[in-house]
Amino acid sequence: MKAIVLIGVNFVREQRWPILVMLLWVLLLAFLGLSTEAARQREDLLFVFKQVAVYVVAFSVFFGSSAIYNERRSRRILSVLSKAVARDRYLSGLVLGISFASAIYCFTLGLTGSWTLGQSGFAVSEVWFLMICLLAACILAGTVSLMFSTFLNPFFAAGATAALMGLPALATYTSGNSHWGLVIPVYALIAVVLKSSFDTASVGPWLPVVLALCQALVFWFVAAQIFSYIDIAVSVE
Amino acid sequence: MHPILFFEGVTKEYRRFIGGSFRALDSFSLEVQAGEIFGFLGPNGAGKTTAIHLAMGFMRPTAGRGSLLGKPFGHARTRQRVGFLPENIALYPRRAEQLVRFYGALNGMTFSQLQKRAAEVLQLLDLQHDAARSVSRFSRGMLQRVGLAQALINDPELLILDEPTSALDPVSRVRVRELLMESRAAGRTIFLSSHLLSEIELLCDRVAVLHHGKLVRLARTADLLQSNEKVEITATGVSAGLFTGATAENGLLRMIVPRDQQRATITRIWTAGGDVISVIPQRRSLEEVFLEVTADPHLNLAAGGR
Repeated sequence: MKAIVLIGVNFVREQRWPILVMLLWVLLLAFLGLSTEAARQREDLLFVFKQVAVYVVAFSVFFGSSAIYNERRSRRILSVLSKAVARDRYLSGLVLGISFASAIYCFTLGLTGSWTLGQSGFAVSEVWFLMICLLAACILAGTVSLMFSTFLNPFFAAGATAALMGLPALATYTSGNSHWGLVIPVYALIAVVLKSSFDTASVGPWLPVVLALCQALVFWFVAAQIFSYIDIAVSVE
Repeated sequence: MHPILFFEGVTKEYRRFIGGSFRALDSFSLEVQAGEIFGFLGPNGAGKTTAIHLAMGFMRPTAGRGSLLGKPFGHARTRQRVGFLPENIALYPRRAEQLVRFYGALNGMTFSQLQKRAAEVLQLLDLQHDAARSVSRFSRGMLQRVGLAQALINDPELLILDEPTSALDPVSRVRVRELLMESRAAGRTIFLSSHLLSEIELLCDRVAVLHHGKLVRLARTADLLQSNEKVEITATGVSAGLFTGATAENGLLRMIVPRDQQRATITRIWTAGGDVISVIPQRRSLEEVFLEVTADPHLNLAAGGR
């Protein structure tokens, strides 16, 4: 467990600049809250909040698809995996790192959102539930992209992740059956955030959150199986 | 007793996306015993690093099997007892001490163990004054020493070192050599891959030479360096003029003769009324052996070089 946490923290440390860039978007929301006539521009503020919120899912895919590639290309992976770290634990560390990075963003957005939306008269009790939905979506999206990145170039891994996450959404749209949304429920969780109106203090369904975490576990397992067969010392170029 | 490091018929092929495959190791077998410093030699592309990476579990063999400290290659917990320095080590940009502690913690060391041991290894490698500096500002030689420090942090039973002194200055090189000798004296096993033949010659108990993925020579260093072709004869009481190529100094006559002429030369010395002081087989340099072995591997295999 200690090694997993160390790898996770190390990942966040190595990705500190992209994380800071991510947080600039949250600063933009805070700036809007400070500088605009919030009461009059409620809808604009809500739009920016939702937009800024979904960016983190794209970032988690970016983190997941490039993590192993970067470590292999720099050859730093050799020093880590020459220690008593099994490959599945190494992947767990990376998933934890992606989760930490996403959690930092979600927490900062939750704080900023509560303040700015609250000032505009929205019922902000839903904000933290939405942040949990976002975090679950990030963990799942990050794990799926990490799985693809065990055998694909980051660019293709990101593309494959986007395609896989989009399939249930497409199935939901074409069949009209909303249950498709519970398969790889990234889209379903993003939809919860995008459709939230903040008019009532109610909290949405927890099922997609639980399913996202369970499915992340399945993808982690598949990733670990594939990664155990990969020659990590071979050049990734 | 289990060998510390064991390869049995290991073959590794790298598959190319287009154009078939490349065989980096071919039916490679080797046993490294506890407490020895084992030299691993070969020209570039001979398969040395591939063999090391297989042992560390970074890749899987195409055929064959092997073990590290009695466990199959890739067994994570076993690596707790191994120190590894890769060729051209890449490190995270951290303070040297912090980095060494990070690698130690990955091996399950406790905070108090790390505190004591990190200071020890940094001092051993003369890095104590740079412990608080980021390794991103270190020279290549200093990085290599940090690499050695991270390999030694867990006080390993087996050290696997891939070109450990290639970037070091002569002073550091001597220090590392002493360190390796101290490690052997403390009962550790060292598997050393290097192009610095003089170093291998000085340090290693046994040497293996790899060429085109095949083991072409495996012998005790002393045996390898001993020439079977020529002997040096030292005699007294005879004139140098009687023997072609002989040199005289302080009444002693020295000559190097082919082994098949040894008996005849000694007889001539006796016949001329001289005495034979010594007959010593000629010692070759490892460089000579290396060049000879890698020039025609098939010849050496046929001659029973293994």
